[in-house]
Amino acid sequence: MEASRHADDLLKFRTEVREFFASMPVQAAVERIASAPATEEPGHLDIYRWLGERGWLAADWPIRYGGLGRGAAWSAVVTEEMTLAGVPDDAHVLSIDIVGAFLLRAGTGAQRDRYLAGLAGGERIAAVLFTEEHCGSDLARLTTRAEPDGDGWRLHGTKVYSQKSRYADFALCAARTTETAVAMHGITLFILPMRVPGVHVDAMPTSTNDQFNRVVIDGVRLTGEDVVGPVDGGWQLINDMLRLERTGIDFHGKARRMLNLVRARAEATGLLDDDLFAVRLADLDGRLRAGRAMAWEMVDALERGAPDPVASAMAKWYVTEQVREIVGLGLEVGGLDATLTSWDVEATGSGSYESALRASPGVRLASGTSEVMLYIVATGLGLL
Amino acid sequence: MTTVEEARERGRELFCAELNPVLRRLGERPRGAGADASCPPHEAQIRRDIWTALAEVGLLGLAGELSPLVEVAELMGAALFTSPYADSLAAVRLLRHTGLVDAARVATGERRLALAGDATEPLVTDGGTLDGAVRFVRFAPDVDDLVVLGAGATGPVAAVLPVAQPGVVCRRHDDTSRGDFYAVTFDRARLAHPAPVPVPQYPTVLGELRLQHAAYLAGACRGALDLTIARLADRTAFGQPLAKLQAPAYRIAALSCRTAALLSLARAAAADGSDVRLAGAQALALGSVLFREVGAEAVHLHGAYGLTERSDAQVFFRRAAVDTVRLGTVTQLHRLAARLIRGIP
Repeated sequence: MEASRHADDLLKFRTEVREFFASMPVQAAVERIASAPATEEPGHLDIYRWLGERGWLAADWPIRYGGLGRGAAWSAVVTEEMTLAGVPDDAHVLSIDIVGAFLLRAGTGAQRDRYLAGLAGGERIAAVLFTEEHCGSDLARLTTRAEPDGDGWRLHGTKVYSQKSRYADFALCAARTTETAVAMHGITLFILPMRVPGVHVDAMPTSTNDQFNRVVIDGVRLTGEDVVGPVDGGWQLINDMLRLERTGIDFHGKARRMLNLVRARAEATGLLDDDLFAVRLADLDGRLRAGRAMAWEMVDALERGAPDPVASAMAKWYVTEQVREIVGLGLEVGGLDATLTSWDVEATGSGSYESALRASPGVRLASGTSEVMLYIVATGLGLL
Repeated sequence: MTTVEEARERGRELFCAELNPVLRRLGERPRGAGADASCPPHEAQIRRDIWTALAEVGLLGLAGELSPLVEVAELMGAALFTSPYADSLAAVRLLRHTGLVDAARVATGERRLALAGDATEPLVTDGGTLDGAVRFVRFAPDVDDLVVLGAGATGPVAAVLPVAQPGVVCRRHDDTSRGDFYAVTFDRARLAHPAPVPVPQYPTVLGELRLQHAAYLAGACRGALDLTIARLADRTAFGQPLAKLQAPAYRIAALSCRTAALLSLARAAAADGSDVRLAGAQALALGSVLFREVGAEAVHLHGAYGLTERSDAQVFFRRAAVDTVRLGTVTQLHRLAARLIRGIP
């Protein structure tokens, strides 16, 4: 197992990465992001470029594509330290963990040469265009169509709730290439350029500091060079990739950061000396340790080339289920002060807990809802 | 005396399924609006109109009538309606024998009050003026008087100050609810009377406020659950409405059971004259835990749409963060209840 064979190297790497995120320029950048006006949203970040320059943003990618040529554990270290440091990671997850991973495993050599280096360098962002108004978890019901047009297709459809589409150079887009009686057949994945005529992006404002987007695709022409994986084989590819790549590392990092903020406030206000709070903190700390342990088992499984979709669903479900209780404890510790936003002069910690509170429902929805995770687990147990 | 049925009937004229979606967003500022954001003028007018209507249907004259107040609170909760209502009537109850609040003028809608501070910090005045600051005062610039609470030598005391004077400055908090909390500073602010007055009944009045707020949270849970049930019935996935899937259906059913239990407790405690300090703490603790869960579940079961500005689900969720701590955290309420159960005053 690579992770244990190179344990000393991995520890040394983690130390370097942690020092990077603790450095003044990175901390200043994190502070600027946390204090940004409500009209701004984290997009292209200097932090991503700095990580990219070091090959760290996609540490498990081959060096020729801008990575370090290392394994899943190295990538997981960066993700973990990034989320613990409070660096927004949505663009990273979309570009590297999803779109980049799809291209790496199912893309053509030409596609990898064309797109991966820009993503790994932190200079380009990719979006994911799967969800539509009437299909979220039930992706087989998508209606975006790819109509044959000569040696290619013209895409028509509307995608919703997509993240970072305004900043994306291209997107991984699911469209129906063949109408069949079996809904999940006939779906193909395309690389859709985002800055071309026929692609219209409108913001869908949310209650969080990150907006969703509605993307209308109006007759954009694509060819076989833009197809990722087999034509009509997109649904299987999506399911396999999302199940196989899931570890829970990023979700644990977010949960742990939030609990760290709660603990810091408890310490600052003397509440940590009160058993009522210390006991609850200890309980949640233990559960997050369990969640982290599960997530790293998934990383080790990836390193061995033996991913376990059921166990990884368990890992994601388990750690994200703790977030509601962390939110509750934060409110108990901070009272109304915990609800002050970064736009209030009296907010502590740049309102980081409050913005995490508003974003917290997303962890049980993103990358597969809690219900989908339980379905996978229940199916794996032979129950359904 | 107003009966429970009369209060409910009058309340329904204002807080009903048709109007509640508008009332929920009334006065809500945009995300990140900051300290200088005021309520849009047309919404401020709607608020004034509702206040007038509350007076006209007799609901501003309910001070001290706990059972009808619980009914009204539940209806307001489903609408997430915020106003100086609860504070104004509590102030009447609190200062009834002091002559500092004209109950008749509150009942006609002419006077509005807000409670500020708590009775744990000393309240020191000097020659009829007050210096200092209080935080998280609801609707501070929109009321006529503030009732500032504090700890006196022998128990809780209160000072009444007109808001409209140079020595009272209000600054809006920007919080998760995007509503009307204010930090208020006093710079030789003049009291309406020579010195703070003892209010030994404050713990009981606070208990009544908590009981009403628990009913408010029951209403809020009802509103959020109704919204979510409608969504589940409307959305289909994997060939059937989400409402037909047992997992979400059972979760909603369980939350509905707990909401019903909460309202039953609030109604019973209001009616049976039991120690309202204990009942208020227990009911509010139950309601706070419940509303946090319901708010989170409402967003979750709405999917990504639940996080968008268009969805009321995220309004319930954000409001839960604030409404479940503003009259005491669950931990504080449990501590109080534990003391009272052991007979410790």
